[in-house]
Amino acid sequence: MKLESRIGLALFALLVIVAIAGPLVAGDPLAQPDPLHGAFLLPSGAHWLGTDQLSRDVFARLARGARVSLLIAAIAVAVAAVIGSMIGLVAGTATGIVGRCFQRFINLGLALPRIIVLLVVLAAVGTIAPATLGVLLGLTGWPAVARLVRGETLRLRVAPFVAAAQALGATRLRIVLHEIFPGTLPAVLVATTLGVADAILLEAGLSFIGVGVRAPAPSWGGMILEARDHLANAPWLLLAPCLALVVATSTATLLGEALRRSLQPETR
Amino acid sequence: MRRTLEGLITALVAVVVLIILVRLLPGDPLAEILGDRAADPAQRALLEHQWGIDRTIVQSVAGFFAGIPRGDLGISLSEQRPVTAVLAEHLPPTLLLGSLTLIVDFTVGLALGVWSALHPDTVRARIIAAFTLIGYALPSFVVGTLLTWIFAVNLGWLQTGGMSDVLLAGDASSSAILIDRLKHLVLPLTAMVVATIAIPLRQQRTAALVSAAQPWVLAARARGVSPAAIAWRHCWRPALTPIVTLFGLWLPMLVAGSVFVEYVFSWPGMGLVLAHATASRDFPLVIGAGLVLIVVVQLGSIGADLLYHVVDPVQRAP
Repeated sequence: MKLESRIGLALFALLVIVAIAGPLVAGDPLAQPDPLHGAFLLPSGAHWLGTDQLSRDVFARLARGARVSLLIAAIAVAVAAVIGSMIGLVAGTATGIVGRCFQRFINLGLALPRIIVLLVVLAAVGTIAPATLGVLLGLTGWPAVARLVRGETLRLRVAPFVAAAQALGATRLRIVLHEIFPGTLPAVLVATTLGVADAILLEAGLSFIGVGVRAPAPSWGGMILEARDHLANAPWLLLAPCLALVVATSTATLLGEALRRSLQPETR
Repeated sequence: MRRTLEGLITALVAVVVLIILVRLLPGDPLAEILGDRAADPAQRALLEHQWGIDRTIVQSVAGFFAGIPRGDLGISLSEQRPVTAVLAEHLPPTLLLGSLTLIVDFTVGLALGVWSALHPDTVRARIIAAFTLIGYALPSFVVGTLLTWIFAVNLGWLQTGGMSDVLLAGDASSSAILIDRLKHLVLPLTAMVVATIAIPLRQQRTAALVSAAQPWVLAARARGVSPAAIAWRHCWRPALTPIVTLFGLWLPMLVAGSVFVEYVFSWPGMGLVLAHATASRDFPLVIGAGLVLIVVVQLGSIGADLLYHVVDPVQRAP
C-alpha cells in the first residue's frame, strides 16, 4: 500500500469515527446557550472548535454534519451501484434492440448534467429529508456506474471462461449472473468509492445554495454558507467545514484510486 | 449530421423527462406563491389554471413544445414575467464567464499538461500535480468563498457580488467602468478555472506522456529537432485527439461549477437563476433554464465532434 493511500485510509477512518461518535460526545448541535455573550467564541475546552453566530457549538454541528453527509453519500452510492450494475449488465449482454435501447438510455443519462436534474426535482418537491436526498443522488448517479459495468461486461463476454461455460451448456442467465457479474464487481467497487466523493460534494453544494439539507439542521455546506456572512470578524468559522469537506472528498478519491490500482491493474 | 440530430433528440427527451418529473413528484409546486391563500379553493384553481397544473402531463409536454417556436417557455412563478425574458437577461453573463474559463482551461491547462509531461521529475511539475489534486478535492464554492475571504475581505483588492458596482457614478469614464468590471470578473473566473482545469490538464499530461514515449520523438531528438518543436509538433499535436473527446466530460463540470460559483459571487447568470429558482420552487423557470443549459452542453459536444474530425486525420479518411 502506498503511503498516500494509508494516509487517506487513516483520515477517512477518523472522519467515520467523528461521524459516529462525535454527535454522542458533543451535545446538541441546535442548542443556543447564550446568543448574546456566547457567540463567536474561540476554540476552548468547552467548545473544541468555538461557537458560531448563534452561540451554537461548532464541533457539534461539524460532527452532526459529518454524520448526515456520510449517510447521504452511503445511500447515494448504494442506490447508484445497484441500478447502474443492473442497467450496465443488461446493456452489455442483451443483444439486438434491447441492448441498443439500454445503451441509448445510459448515453442519455450521461448527457444530462446531474446538477440540472437534481435542481428540477428539488424545485418540484421542496424540502427533503436527508435519506431521500441520498436516494435522489443515487438515482442521478447511476449512469457513470452503468457505463463502466457495460464496458466490463463487453470485455468479459468474450473471455475464455465464458466460452467454456457456454460449451458446458450453461444458460444465458447463469452465464450473466455467475460468470460475468462477479467479474464486474471490482469496477463497481472502484466507481462506488469515487462516487462517495461526488455525492459528498453535491450534497454540500446543494446545502450551500440552500436547497439540500436545510437550516437549522447542520450540514457542512450550510455551515460554509453561514460562515460567509462573518468572514470579516470570525474567519475561523469558515475553516472547520471547508477542511472537513476537503478531507472527505480527497480521501475518498485517494482510496478510490488506490482500489483501482490494486483491483484493476490493467487500467494503469 | 447524425451527431447533431442525436444531440437534439437528447435535449428534447431530457426536457420531456424533466417536465414529467415535476408533474409526477409529490409536493405542491404552488405552495410557495400561494402561501396562506393555499386553503382557498377558488384562488388555487385560478393559479393552477394559470400555470397549467390542471392539465394532463401529455397536455403539459405538448403545450411546452408548442411554445418553443414562439419563444414561449411559460411564466416564471417568482418573477411573474416570461421565462424567456428572465433567461435572455442572464444567459450573456454565463456565456462570458464560461467562454473565458474555456479559453484559460484549454490554453493554460493544456500547456501546463504538456510541460509537466515533458519535465516529469521537476519541482514545478510536482507543484502542478499537487495543484490539480487540490482542484479535484476543493469544491468550487469552497474555492470561491476562500478567494472572497483572502482577496476581497482581507486584502480588499477585488470585488465580489455581481458584475459591476451599482454605486459607480453614471458618468464614470469608460476606463473606470472597465476596471470595475475586471475587478468583479477576476475572482469568479479564478474559482471556475481552479474547479475545472484539472480535467484538461491531467488528461493532456497523460496523452503527452504517451506520445512523448513514441519512437518518432526519439527520432526527432536524434535528428536534432529543437525541444520546442518536439513539444509542439511531435508531442502536443498527436496528444490533442483525446482532449477533444474529453470536452464532452468537461462541459457538465462547467455547468455544475457555474451554478455554485455564480451563487458564491452573485454573478447574474444562468447558474444563479437556477439556484434561486430552485429555492423558491419556481419550476417553469428551472425547466427553462435547464433546457437552455442542456442545449448549450449539446451544442458544445457537437462542436467538439466537428473539431475531432479536423484534428484527427484518420477521421477524415473515407
